Amino acid sequence: MPRLIAPVVVSAILFSAAGLSAQDSSPPKVPLGLPPLSVPKDNPQTPAKIALGKQLYFDKRLSRDNTVACASCHDPAKGWSNGERFATGVRGQVGGRSAPTIINAAYWPLQFWDGRAKHLEGQALGPIANSIEMDLTIKEAVERLNKIEGYKKQFQAVFGSDATGETLAKAIASFERTVLSGDAPYDRFKAGDKSALSEAAQRGMTVFFKKANCTACHGGGNFSDGAFHNAGIGMDAKEPDVGRFAVTKLLGDRGSFRTPTLREIGRTAPYMHDGSLKTLEDVVEHYVKGGIKNPQLDEEIFSLRLDAKQQADLVTFLKEGLSSKSYPMIKAPELPK
Amino acid sequence: MRTIILFAATLLIAIAVNTAAHAADPVVVLKGLDNPCGIAVQPETGLIFVSDSAAGKVVKFDPKKPLTSTDVITDFPISSYGKGPEYAIGPLGLAFLDKNTLVVGGGGLDDGAELLRVYDVSGDKPIKADKMKTKIGPLTAGDVSIKGEGNFYAVAIAGNTVYVASNGDDTKGWVLRADLGADSPKLEGFIATKEATGLDAPVGIAIASNGLIVVGQMGEISVPGDSLLTYYSPKDKTLRAKFKTGLHDIAGLAYGKTNLLYAVDFAWIDAKQGGLFRLDSDLKGGVSTKKIAGLDKPTALAIGADGAIYVTVFGSVKKDAKKDSKEKPGTVVKIIDTP
Ligand code: HEC
Ligand code: HEC
Repeated sequence: MPRLIAPVVVSAILFSAAGLSAQDSSPPKVPLGLPPLSVPKDNPQTPAKIALGKQLYFDKRLSRDNTVACASCHDPAKGWSNGERFATGVRGQVGGRSAPTIINAAYWPLQFWDGRAKHLEGQALGPIANSIEMDLTIKEAVERLNKIEGYKKQFQAVFGSDATGETLAKAIASFERTVLSGDAPYDRFKAGDKSALSEAAQRGMTVFFKKANCTACHGGGNFSDGAFHNAGIGMDAKEPDVGRFAVTKLLGDRGSFRTPTLREIGRTAPYMHDGSLKTLEDVVEHYVKGGIKNPQLDEEIFSLRLDAKQQADLVTFLKEGLSSKSYPMIKAPELPK
Repeated sequence: MRTIILFAATLLIAIAVNTAAHAADPVVVLKGLDNPCGIAVQPETGLIFVSDSAAGKVVKFDPKKPLTSTDVITDFPISSYGKGPEYAIGPLGLAFLDKNTLVVGGGGLDDGAELLRVYDVSGDKPIKADKMKTKIGPLTAGDVSIKGEGNFYAVAIAGNTVYVASNGDDTKGWVLRADLGADSPKLEGFIATKEATGLDAPVGIAIASNGLIVVGQMGEISVPGDSLLTYYSPKDKTLRAKFKTGLHDIAGLAYGKTNLLYAVDFAWIDAKQGGLFRLDSDLKGGVSTKKIAGLDKPTALAIGADGAIYVTVFGSVKKDAKKDSKEKPGTVVKIIDTP
């Protein structure tokens, strides 16, 4: 077991010793271009906790029939998403929304497409208990973990107790906070390395930040405002997914979904909450035509005057400019027996 | 204390809103308003001018004789804002250049067509909105602003310069500027607050005693607790400091008589959390946010000649209101803060 805990794979992230509250420890180091990351005071990052969370993240035993792990739908090899339109859980059941990437999820002020969960900690138990995702009650999950000697020992060492719902969530969340992507060619270019972006990508960058109005929503270090907008996706369906409206009951939120990050966007096709757009070319086309009209369409979505070359450059910027060499390619660890 | 803010590098300090408020009871001094959105106190007279926004007019009242008002400027254009709840809005931010010169930020025209209007308010008779002394703008769609600018939420004046918290190009988040001393003043994009802070929507604006431009960055209405308090140099436009306030949606900012800074929080996400707050900066360069009074969707504030804080409040139609009652729920409330 100690071998498992030893090297925390994620580079460039330093953590304080256990016991310090997040406030008096220095915040985790983040890759170039990302904003400072805040960590909940009651769940400071520690190497042992992150290592534990990583095992749990990859462990299929947290699902009813031992077939599905978090990593099944949020797979590091597939941009920390699943490469499919919708997510498939236990017994081959398919959900109604696309699996978002875990990359930079640590920054979301609210989790899920519709923001119904607050923190990563508040989110982590949801999929385990969800009957079409992993379908295991938290009580059962915790019982299973405490029967596995390697887990029992680690929970004792990290939290001073057996696994509980709360500590399970905290460990997974701590691991997720290490899944970051920054230091992309765009960041290097911005920091002064003029060779970091091809000419096409540079032209696309100008389109992105100016004419195409993308940064009205995809602004800041994580290329998202963290807010909810109606981009018209799926709004031509008979019974559209109402998105954020289900949480707030404010009419203005009908059909609104949280603005996704665009970091590593080249790896996470298909796109949008319903996986309805297959390629980045399709996405750009959607914006150029001004989205899909509906009463709640965001006023920042309007038809764009971009010629074919500008559209192609924009796609080049997204693919080339926002894909990092230090992509968090984390491998599944050996799991405790 | 303020020098610390000035010289501190850009700081981001998350703080918890201190809700253990000391009681300050708001007293209604004007009612029946329709989405009131701006407020300013007339120099010398102490009369209070209010944007009765959805009614398309600016009214004034004497705080010593509350609950009655007279029309000052009427017939402003009105449009609707938001996609549910939807609010009708017309004139927004107000500020006096001098006793007789009132600057009014518009909200009733489309982005790219909106105007900043300057009126001579020395007369007794109501003025029609399009009979302004000076018309400034519009700032139309183009290189400076993708969509053109509009929704001039708040205006602040330093010398002859007017600063306008504008909404329009959401990639920029402009604070606009106009020189009222010029022969034909123009609206120019001055500070791109979104580029400086990464956050949307400059809404509240005030001038600090050391001359810095203080901007309340509302942030996203669907993201809780993201509002920022920011300070910019009027000379080189640089961001001198930014602080997390813990507030949801700062809608207005003003300095009180003793140079304390006050903010109102509209709190789109949960109106029950809205109200008047005092933003005290401490020596470490942080800000502590103290709730002074809970208010139902406050929009703007000004400090009266008496030192009291006057706040425009949208309010809500009461559940037990008579069906045939046409009275609008908007008010001006008076609050006395005793720090
Ligand atoms: C069956 C596929 C599936 C499994 C298994 C699964 N997820 Fe998800 N996950 C999803 C889908 C689909 C969503 C989006 C749901 C929504 O927004 O309504 C999601 C959303 C999330 C989010 C929110 C990200 C964001 O952008 O808001 C996080 C974090 C997350 N999952 C973590 C986990 C963790 C941790 C596990 C394991 C405990 C897990 N997921 C297991 C499919 C899955
Ligand atoms: C009004 C805000 C807004 C603007 C402006 C905007 N987006 Fe988006 N973007 C969103 C939202 C919200 C989604 C998710 C929509 C959904 O799934 O319903 C999204 C989704 C995307 C996605 C898919 C991400 C994923 O992981 O599935 C890409 C790529 C994207 N936008 C790129 C762009 C580009 C390029 C521009 C400029 C041409 C742009 N966006 C302009 C809000 C916006």
